[in-house]
Amino acid sequence: MSLLWDLPLRLAFWLLLAPLVPGLINRIKAWVAGRRGPPLLQLYYDLARLWRKQVVMSSLASPGFILGPAVAWVAVVVAALLLPLGPAGTVLGFSGDALALVYLLALARFATAWAAMETGSAFEGMGVVREVSFAVLAEGSILSALLALGVQSHSLALNQMLAPTVGTGSALLAAGLFTVLLAENCRVPFDDPNTHLELTMIHEVMVLDHSGPPLAAILHGASVKLLLFSVLLVQAVLPVANLPAPAAAALLAGGVLGVVVGIGLVESLIARLAFRKVPLLLTTAFLLCLFALLVAWKGGAG
Amino acid sequence: MIGPLLLFALVALGLGALAGRRSPAVWVALTLAAGVALGAAGVAVGFGLQPDWDWRSGFPVGGQALHLRLDALSALFLILLAGVGLAGTAYSHTYLTLNDGIDPSAPARGRLWWNGLIFHLAVVLINSNGLHFLIGWELFTVCAYFLITLDRRRLAVRQAGWLYLAASHAGTIALFAFFTLLASATGSWDLGPLRERTDLAPLFWLALFGFGLKAGLFPLHVWLPSAHANAPSHVSALLSGVTLKLGIYGLLRFSGWLPVPASAGWVILGLGAVGALAGIVFALVQTDLKRLLAYCSVENIGVILIGLGGALVAAGEPAADWGRLALAGALLHVWTHGFAKALLFLGAGTVVHAAGTRDLGRMGGLWRALPFTAVAFLVGSASMSGLPPLAGLVGEWLVYLGLFDAVASHGPAGWAAGPAVIALALAGAVALATFTKANALVFLGAPRSSPSHALHEPDRWRSAPTFGLAGAVLLLGLAPAFVAPILARASEAWRPFDTGTAAVRVPLISLGRFQLILALVLVGVAFALWRRVHHLGVTRGPTWDCGYAQPSRRMQYTAGAMGGTVGGWFTWFLRPERSQRRPRGPLPDRAFILDRPRETVLEGVVTPVARQVLRVSTAVRRLQHGRLQSYILYIVIGLAALGLIVLVQGGRP
Repeated sequence: MSLLWDLPLRLAFWLLLAPLVPGLINRIKAWVAGRRGPPLLQLYYDLARLWRKQVVMSSLASPGFILGPAVAWVAVVVAALLLPLGPAGTVLGFSGDALALVYLLALARFATAWAAMETGSAFEGMGVVREVSFAVLAEGSILSALLALGVQSHSLALNQMLAPTVGTGSALLAAGLFTVLLAENCRVPFDDPNTHLELTMIHEVMVLDHSGPPLAAILHGASVKLLLFSVLLVQAVLPVANLPAPAAAALLAGGVLGVVVGIGLVESLIARLAFRKVPLLLTTAFLLCLFALLVAWKGGAG
Repeated sequence: MIGPLLLFALVALGLGALAGRRSPAVWVALTLAAGVALGAAGVAVGFGLQPDWDWRSGFPVGGQALHLRLDALSALFLILLAGVGLAGTAYSHTYLTLNDGIDPSAPARGRLWWNGLIFHLAVVLINSNGLHFLIGWELFTVCAYFLITLDRRRLAVRQAGWLYLAASHAGTIALFAFFTLLASATGSWDLGPLRERTDLAPLFWLALFGFGLKAGLFPLHVWLPSAHANAPSHVSALLSGVTLKLGIYGLLRFSGWLPVPASAGWVILGLGAVGALAGIVFALVQTDLKRLLAYCSVENIGVILIGLGGALVAAGEPAADWGRLALAGALLHVWTHGFAKALLFLGAGTVVHAAGTRDLGRMGGLWRALPFTAVAFLVGSASMSGLPPLAGLVGEWLVYLGLFDAVASHGPAGWAAGPAVIALALAGAVALATFTKANALVFLGAPRSSPSHALHEPDRWRSAPTFGLAGAVLLLGLAPAFVAPILARASEAWRPFDTGTAAVRVPLISLGRFQLILALVLVGVAFALWRRVHHLGVTRGPTWDCGYAQPSRRMQYTAGAMGGTVGGWFTWFLRPERSQRRPRGPLPDRAFILDRPRETVLEGVVTPVARQVLRVSTAVRRLQHGRLQSYILYIVIGLAALGLIVLVQGGRP
């Protein structure tokens, strides 16, 4: 019975709240730069507009060009639903759902890459290669982080894993996961979500040829993914689940807001990295997560 | 019930081999019937509908009484053999007669050796006598050799076959030593559980070499890529899908029946982790479609070995629950990889026939001509990359669960399991890159060269098996809990553990439910978006590509570029052969960069060693030149030396 209420509420939370995150980041960036900036709800307007637009498709593209974004969107949204939400816990949770989350993100990546390659464009090929290559390091980092959490909690269910004890490991994990968040969500210093015409971009270049509802699915999926990573990061580092419900909800919301502000500040204050250095930064994130794993391992044994 | 079924299958295979030259229709009927019978026997025993089967003949064959046995572990591999065998048989029925410039006698020979291969694979799987096991092993190797070299007029094919034959025999020598030492230690060729004989443990290393070589275990994989790439595609499917797994079967069987050294599990786990990562990195940089698939098999053998190694490590520990999961994962991965890889090779056969080349750099845009093949290939690729909701994830997931438990339990095993998890994760991500590349270069974009004559979907004989295998991959992904009984029974037959069905069934049910829900939502949302797009209307135009006015098909990303980034991180180890000409001057005329992936282990290790051996042999050969005078001189020197020894020792022995 509770599932009947829980699932739609959760779905509404993720689907409706997610487009707010990029809006918030843009407001922060505008504030730092002293500009007026786009309205907070800009992405909602964009999505509504795109949903009503006709699609222009490359003559080379197969139906996969439209189905790919749909698959990617579903994968990200289901991954988000697997994630516990502070006091509310999970709804679909099972032992090993942490791995399902990682592989759902992989599915989203595969579907996006497939759709991008449909066009036979060199730009999009470049984006695909970068995306799938950097994901190797990102996936290694996420798995190490999950291992660290698993060692701490003796569990493989996100519900129990995301109830960490705060310590040295948490700081390492926070730094590592935040870097992965920036890379996986195509934020500065890895990528610049505002450019569409640069040779140095990763994710944005893969969706150059999309338009209309599929592009809406892609943009919305990207915002859900950003929120997903923020929620994951906050719960992996702060002891949200151990607090009473109102405090936990407040801490979760505050934490996510903090992450969002952090992203906005990073984008305002740091320039994009030289492209050759991207793997180095990601390797650093990987090492941070590995060290977090070692700390968890030694700490638990003592 | 089991005996007659197997007898029928073997007789049908034999008769089919005889009929293959004259009447292909009889051959295909008999071989398919044999496949069904093998599968039925496997299912009956594997799922516990029939008790384990054990039979000894009253008469000797080659000096030994036959001893056949079919337990759940054999049944698991027998079902795989039946499934892939059926698919390959149906596929080859018309595939063999496609006139791709192949030798005219190839179809008849192909049918003969095909039946021989399936026959001997089945014999090895049900054999329980060391001598017969060895004979069956050798014969299936020889059958596989003749199948690889079906198109014997091409030099590359002959070279690949020769390498396969030579490498396989290096493995067979180790197995020969293994079985004879085993027989001399136990006084009998009969095989069976002997876990209490701890003095037999060191023999395991011989088995690891022999079976590991056949399985394509990482540094011993040197024969694999060229053999699987140059064989006809239905043969590649059987070789990659099943015969590699025979190596795994051997390792499982004899690590279960015989005691193993304490370090065995750790070594296998380490080799598996290294092999998984190395294999898939090699796969990523390949430019030949079938070679890419072959290297991907090296990766998956690594994944299976991680599971097996984990199980062996856990068997030596008090709390072995995680090992059970790892073992079940390895066993399931045998199936999922076998079916998916067979599917991919059959798909590759269709693609190669249509495109007229195996070179990824000359394909592209084939989805238009081969839409159904593209879908089937996509299913296989997604499964191979471990993506939900398909089968590939399930086996890997069980292995992950086992390893995670090992790490979380803080035992010493965590030191092996932790790095293995990370290796698995990295390998999974590289696999995704690899299959993105394969699919994109073959099916998407614009054709990179002029299309060949045969650009159409294949006939039913070739498309039905492809879809059958795709269905199996989908079904295993959506309803994995149904295979829990055979996994549990096979783990039990493996022996070091006492059984625990629930340990495997519970996670499979929860994962299956998740995959099913995901699949339904995927279909629903994809359909909804499709409807929406077509409701609004679609305008077709050239690829926008940032407003590029004249995109040409040669501007598309190539096979080298697709693997370049990750390949670049591993140059120290891949050592690609690079030739390039940089653009010079303000108006450069010509520039290129060409990377050829190298067979690092073969060209860097095996060939130099072999060359040294040859050099020493050549030097020694100078002693044997056929001149009688010198031979007499050798004898005189020898006698003189003997006399000297006798003199010095004073006649005492």
